[in-house]
Amino acid sequence: MTAAAWAWSALRRARGTLAVLAGVAALAFALRDTRLEQDPVRSLTHPDPVRAALFDRYQQRSRFQDRIYVEDAGLTPDERARLDAALAAAGYAPMPLLERPAPDVVLSLAPLLPAADLERLLSDERLGARAREAAGLAMLPGGDAYLAELERDPLGLGPAVLERLSGSSGGGGGAGTTRAYRSPLPLRYDSVGAVYDLLVSLTPRVYFIGNDFFSVENYRAANHDIVLCSILSLVFNLALFYVFTGRWSLLGLLLLGTVVSGLTGLGAVRAFHGEVFAVVLAYTSTFVGFNNESLVHLAGLGRGAAGPGHRRRALLGVWSAIGTTVIGFLVLLLGRSPMVRQMAIASLGGMFGFLLFLVPYRALLGGIRFRSFRIPELPVRGRTVAILCAACAAGLAAVGVPRLATHIDEFRFQSPVLDAQLAHFSTRLDAYGLDDVIAVPAAPATAAEDALAPLVAAGTVDAARHPLARLPSREAQAESLRALGGYGAAVDRFRAHLEATGLRLAPARDLPAAIGPLDGWTYLDRLGAVGPVRWSDDVGGRRWVMAGLTKAAAGRVPEGAVSVSPRPHYDALLTSFSRELGWLFLAGLALMAVYLVYLQRSAARVLYVFAPLFLSALAFAVYARLAGGSIHIVHVMGFSLVIALALDYSAVVVSGEHGPVERAKVLLTGLSTLGTFGVLLLARHPVLRALGATVTIGCAASLAFALLVSLREDGARSARGVEGEPP
Amino acid sequence: MIAAVLALALAAPDAPAVTADGLRARHGGVRRLTADVVQVKEGKYWARPFESRVALRYTPERVEWETLAPVRALAVIQGDALWLVGPDGARRDLGPAAGDPKLAAILRFVRALLAVDLDGIERDFVLRYGPGEVTATPRPGSDLGLFRAVRLRFGPDLEIASVELETADEKTRLRFERVQREQRAPAPAPAP
Repeated sequence: MTAAAWAWSALRRARGTLAVLAGVAALAFALRDTRLEQDPVRSLTHPDPVRAALFDRYQQRSRFQDRIYVEDAGLTPDERARLDAALAAAGYAPMPLLERPAPDVVLSLAPLLPAADLERLLSDERLGARAREAAGLAMLPGGDAYLAELERDPLGLGPAVLERLSGSSGGGGGAGTTRAYRSPLPLRYDSVGAVYDLLVSLTPRVYFIGNDFFSVENYRAANHDIVLCSILSLVFNLALFYVFTGRWSLLGLLLLGTVVSGLTGLGAVRAFHGEVFAVVLAYTSTFVGFNNESLVHLAGLGRGAAGPGHRRRALLGVWSAIGTTVIGFLVLLLGRSPMVRQMAIASLGGMFGFLLFLVPYRALLGGIRFRSFRIPELPVRGRTVAILCAACAAGLAAVGVPRLATHIDEFRFQSPVLDAQLAHFSTRLDAYGLDDVIAVPAAPATAAEDALAPLVAAGTVDAARHPLARLPSREAQAESLRALGGYGAAVDRFRAHLEATGLRLAPARDLPAAIGPLDGWTYLDRLGAVGPVRWSDDVGGRRWVMAGLTKAAAGRVPEGAVSVSPRPHYDALLTSFSRELGWLFLAGLALMAVYLVYLQRSAARVLYVFAPLFLSALAFAVYARLAGGSIHIVHVMGFSLVIALALDYSAVVVSGEHGPVERAKVLLTGLSTLGTFGVLLLARHPVLRALGATVTIGCAASLAFALLVSLREDGARSARGVEGEPP
Repeated sequence: MIAAVLALALAAPDAPAVTADGLRARHGGVRRLTADVVQVKEGKYWARPFESRVALRYTPERVEWETLAPVRALAVIQGDALWLVGPDGARRDLGPAAGDPKLAAILRFVRALLAVDLDGIERDFVLRYGPGEVTATPRPGSDLGLFRAVRLRFGPDLEIASVELETADEKTRLRFERVQREQRAPAPAPAP
């Protein structure tokens, strides 16, 4: 054979693989611009439109939206210069702690100023001094920026109002050393990470807060997890597969197939979501375990490889396994948590991608043989399995189903450094009564003060820390408005002072038409327009007044009120999603039971398939009771994976009537799954760690049950040696 | 006559070549600078072109801009703070600039401008070097977008001669006289 003929022949043999490689390259190219979202919490939306709107609108004015804060009073000038340079390099732009509001809005709050203060501001002595200041500043290069401000608010009522507000909870932001910076969009994690590292190195002389820092930590944790877990689980699975099959070509198949499934999974998520959660990308490292299962269950099914009886039973096992896995993921799609949905979509996309990938290699797969092992087993009857399941259910009832609650902290990565910063700023917010804020509905035609009165009486809200405490009485406001009667004349006098210094300004001599006595609602509305906190809102046809909960009432939202602070809001939302997922999980189980009854035609077999789940549920409940913990959304997601993965073991062995080939396959896939998810225990991200722990516990119980307990059905054929299929 | 004009034009000294390196060498490491400045402002807020005489005293930590005539006023910039000292010597603190990035940016710029600190100016401006002058235009999105252009003109020894600042409402011309500076000694060359 000539070299050209040999090359042509090799090319023909490898054309399937070449096509796959071309497909992989095309997919990778199409997905190259995938945007990663680091914070899976921020994307959650409350299903109740009123609660969602209240929270979103309150957070729009949030001090923590798209900005960071740095308290740097303890830094040396050199350190501050380094920090400024790092912030500028990362794209952070300084911004005022308090956005300067339109002069009309500020002036409309002038009745808040005591009459004596207003008289002083309008006095001739003050006007002369102000004109001299204006001239002094006008002499500076760029001084006309100040003159423009002066023209809009000639007498300086705005700064006086803001100064008065900044002394109350309404204005906030009085910390002289706190600087605010607008976040760059989009966030560049490397440069933001450099800022974060510098800030960490400067603690405790500097304090900092902002979602960006949480995003950086999550980004780093996800990157660590993606690399570490992918490499470890891949190496482990490749070694395992080689030990069981002794063929290197299959390792290549698993490796290439895992790349394909990762890309198809990611592509599936991209088809439905603009951004992919980084934690979902890290989760795709577990696909090598799923793929190993598919590969193992589909291997050795070639027509010449075994007798027809074996092939039929093996196919029954394959359909049981694949069917329950698909059902497990499909029900997760009905959940409202975007992260869980993305995980389910990625899993389904990855699974179908891998199955499609195997099509060109079906001949190779059909000829695979597995090394079998002698494993002791305990034969039991269907009745015994039923008693075992009933006992587990009774045990579960006795121990008690663990409480279902999800907290934001369990959902994202937080380092001790960030915890310390959070604690520092929580104390600050608490001082302003803004640490735990609720929206309280007001009955129609009710004053804002009256809407809060029952909560104040119950000690839930501290009236003294609410901005309404700073609203002057009607009489005091009337006196202030009388003092403002001389506003126009004062503006004329001020202009005369300015002209004497050579300045020519033309300020308006009339006050805004909206100026007048303020009631509670008007005051809160205007305060919200001026400051960074919304104190009142109109949502769902009702008026709401915001108030901070007292320390004694922290976390206990009164009936009818709605929490608008991020932590309690997301805790409640995630807990609600957890419960919903729990119900979906049970619905999925029912669906799987129906599917398996149809497929297996035997109640005993179906019970056998589900028995490991009963055992795992009891084991988990006992663990939760002893550890005093609760179940959260990631555990429920983990249970779904246990069903998707671990029920396959009992389904395959019972379908194959506990034949040695099926048991060897189950041992291989079980070890693969334990290795893949066990590796997640090394992850930094709490979501992946919780997922790893749940699936490892569930799969270990299922694997042990499927390998060590065999179902002996009355009147059934002997499982072994029938039709003389080879091991 | 034409020949005379041509001869005069040809005999006139060329505008100095202004480069970033040259300016850095001339103005870098200023420890102290004093100058008499004649300032002319005209624009929307001025009844007529307003000329004033100013004494500038600069150190990296503090800038004093003292208007001597026709009115007396002293503005002091130190760190992020700005205050005025009236004729009676009373200090009127205008508050820390930390709360207002725009004011902080203006003060930062004024400091950098008066010391010809190119790095400081380039933070907010793009610089264009021409014969005898540098023109600065604000970077997009800068807090100093109120300036349309800033032109710095230099003498033959690259000493600052004049500055023109132009905003939408005002044009300011600063003419520098009797500039005296104290600079850090250049670092000794490494031993061969």
